Amino acid sequence: MSAILNTEALLKVSNIETFYGPIQAIRGVSLEVHPGQIVTVLGANGAGKTTILKTISGVMDPERGQVNFDGHDIQRMSPDKVMRRGICHSPEGREVFPFLSVHENLVMGAYSRHDRDEVAQDMEMCYGYFPRLKERQHQRAGQMSGGEQQMLAISRALMGRPKLLLLDEPSLGLSPILVTQIFDIVRRINRERGVAILLVEQNAHIALKTADYGYIIEVGRIVLEDTCARLMDKDDIKEFYLGQKDEGVRGRRRWKRKKLWR
Amino acid sequence: MALDTMEAEIVPMTAVPTEPYQRRWVGEDGQQHHAWEDPTIGVSIPSLMLARAASDGGATILRKKDRGIWKGVTWSGLAHEARRVGLGLKALGFAPGDVAAVLADTSPEWVFADLGILGAGGISAGIYPTDAAAQVAYLLENSGTRVLFVENEEQLDKALEAKASCPALIRIVIFDMTGLRDLDDPICEGLDAFLARGGAQDASGWEPGIAAIDGADTAILVYTSGTTGPPKGAMLSHRNILFQIVNGSRALDQRRGDERLAFLPMCHVAERVAGIYQALYAGTISNYVEGPETIAENLREAQPTVMGAVPRFWERFYSRIQIEVQEATWAQRMLFRWAMAAGYRRADAMLAGRAPSLPARLNYAVASHLVLGNVRRDIGLDRTRWAFVGAAPTSPELIRWYLALGVELLEVYGQTENGGLATIMPADAIRLHSVGRCVPYGELILSPEGEILLRGEHVFQGYWKDPQKTAETVRDGWLHTGDMGELTDGYLRVTDRMKDIIITSGGKNVTPSEIENELKFSAYITDAIVIGDRRKYLSCLIMIDHENVEKWAQDHNVAFSNFSSLTRADPVLKLIQGELERVNNKFARVEQLKHFRLIEHKLEPEDPELTPTMKLKRRFVHEKYSALIETMYENA
Repeated sequence: MSAILNTEALLKVSNIETFYGPIQAIRGVSLEVHPGQIVTVLGANGAGKTTILKTISGVMDPERGQVNFDGHDIQRMSPDKVMRRGICHSPEGREVFPFLSVHENLVMGAYSRHDRDEVAQDMEMCYGYFPRLKERQHQRAGQMSGGEQQMLAISRALMGRPKLLLLDEPSLGLSPILVTQIFDIVRRINRERGVAILLVEQNAHIALKTADYGYIIEVGRIVLEDTCARLMDKDDIKEFYLGQKDEGVRGRRRWKRKKLWR
Repeated sequence: MALDTMEAEIVPMTAVPTEPYQRRWVGEDGQQHHAWEDPTIGVSIPSLMLARAASDGGATILRKKDRGIWKGVTWSGLAHEARRVGLGLKALGFAPGDVAAVLADTSPEWVFADLGILGAGGISAGIYPTDAAAQVAYLLENSGTRVLFVENEEQLDKALEAKASCPALIRIVIFDMTGLRDLDDPICEGLDAFLARGGAQDASGWEPGIAAIDGADTAILVYTSGTTGPPKGAMLSHRNILFQIVNGSRALDQRRGDERLAFLPMCHVAERVAGIYQALYAGTISNYVEGPETIAENLREAQPTVMGAVPRFWERFYSRIQIEVQEATWAQRMLFRWAMAAGYRRADAMLAGRAPSLPARLNYAVASHLVLGNVRRDIGLDRTRWAFVGAAPTSPELIRWYLALGVELLEVYGQTENGGLATIMPADAIRLHSVGRCVPYGELILSPEGEILLRGEHVFQGYWKDPQKTAETVRDGWLHTGDMGELTDGYLRVTDRMKDIIITSGGKNVTPSEIENELKFSAYITDAIVIGDRRKYLSCLIMIDHENVEKWAQDHNVAFSNFSSLTRADPVLKLIQGELERVNNKFARVEQLKHFRLIEHKLEPEDPELTPTMKLKRRFVHEKYSALIETMYENA
């Protein structure tokens, strides 16, 4: 990957292994995110995608392996310290504070900052990206639609002024049109703000279109990595992630090819 | 062929024998030979089945796990299913001498179909379920298959693609109809419907039909994976097979009440002849694995008493135990090391041909009781009376390791063309670097060039529709194996395939398989191909063991993402370099490997680089990776 981008990696995850009690969720994963890049991690339910993000943001501690961010090892650091270093996590299922208003939620996102003026500016920036939030800034977050809550979760993470934004399944439970809108804005945030993004997704279509580089993970292991353009060309990706398949001579096919990850 | 010269020496019989008896003769190799004949089973495989069903109808002969429970098939059940298949075939107009093929994973259904085809007087051909559609088409067309049995929807799709080029094909019978309820093709039919029709036929002609089968009739076609050109169908007659199994079971001491694990592909002569047919003759129960992924578990459950497998299989358990030991606690590791040391002392004494000393025996008995027995049980080999390895070259170190563990892993050698078994390693006099002694019922000599030649009634009839290849292979009654060998005190050592011998540009003859075997013994190397023909020095391509190298990389904090990045990681290259140097130390300078490259893709049985038994295909690999190979000679 470093061959593609001649920059030092912003985030470098090496061989992390993370467990839920006796269950090993990640079996040695290594990946890199370079400054300004959108990297996606794709995989099925239970593949370990969310666990990767949680391990990076410090919510979970890896049994072994390193997480290096901006030149410092951050594994086993508490989440607030990781956040102060510039990694903000927009979690799976949004997890907005339901009884706080939109405005208050955004303030919570900036709790580590003391530069009042800039916080106010950033808030305006978020409202600029998501005008819907501005309309509802005094409404309780729990009363908003799933799409609005997702906008809020992303905005709340942006309020921490991250160098790296971790997005966990922003498309979850959203209508296709909303998914497109949100991903458009994700891309704008990346381009305009220069924020690197590590995006975990099940919706391979939109993730591969949005990201620059992708990793495919299956049962806790990376089986394939490449630029998204090249990933979209691979037979296994087409069949297992994009749902295009050769229907065969009978015009219908139930059985699945063996995945070879070439 | 071989018959003419041999009959002259047969001891003449006065009355028609009704019990098994032995013939003796002196062969051209100067050795005393003997072979058993068993008139109680008739002259064909289906007549063997009928004889056993009549005498042992209620005895279990096959077992298969169904919804978590092992369930048996009795002899009468087997004969019943075979009859339904056979009569179903006859109802379709399938005539004696016609070919039917089976495209499925190893399973009892495969056996039902096979015995049904043979009972109908047909010729039974097997197709590997890992073959691609084009290969399936070639085999169907070449064999002139009239009826094809397929496992499921996936295999059916290959057959349907091939259908257009196979005008002889009149019916496809599908074992598993899941997902095919709406299938509307008059040529296709589910197994249940097919069997029901067979069961409704008049069965009076069934047994007379089997009695009419001649021993000289072709029974099966075994397609051999051609490294050059398309596969050839080796024709084995009922006589070839019965001769091989009647004698093979006696030579190997396989008995009634033995249990085996059936998991190798049925298309391969090892499982077909030395596996299922021999088990049918000996009365050994075949336990069918649930699938290729569950072999290890099923082996542990079945704890077979007799076991035959390819080297890859034995290597897998060896590396698994190595890794488990590494992960164990310090005390466990020490205990295992101590136990294996005791095992090695006993093994080395046995290999040197002397009885282990009393202290060594006592030491081993304690080690076996405390440690090694548990390891054997964990693999599934604790009840194993004998274990064979064949069908590919085996590392001597592997055999020594198993011997230390308390498993006498015996090498056998043979070819599809002689029904699978030509030499056996005697359990009481194991020699490393050898595949054992010639079976008593066959003859083995070396040609002046050193090629291994075989003769006997187990030698095949020839290649299907290829008299030219047949004439090249069987000359003056001798099967020319294409393998180079050496004989010492009657022990055969197979050096290599004739066409694989490397002659370096320095003029030195090198047998690559010896070096490759040493490499493969490493837990980190699955397979290797040595290169160097007409080149200045030797080099090799290596396929790493995914699991073990991955684990090693994790333990040593080597960052990698997927398989190819693993093969590119510097520490991994260093690891393999270390393994290479370990092997190099065992060889003379000209036989040492200068460079190596790792194959960057994880190869699966479906890949053209591998044979269905997971060996790398030398020629194919040479061609496919020629650019990579050249990089090892750039500065030469």
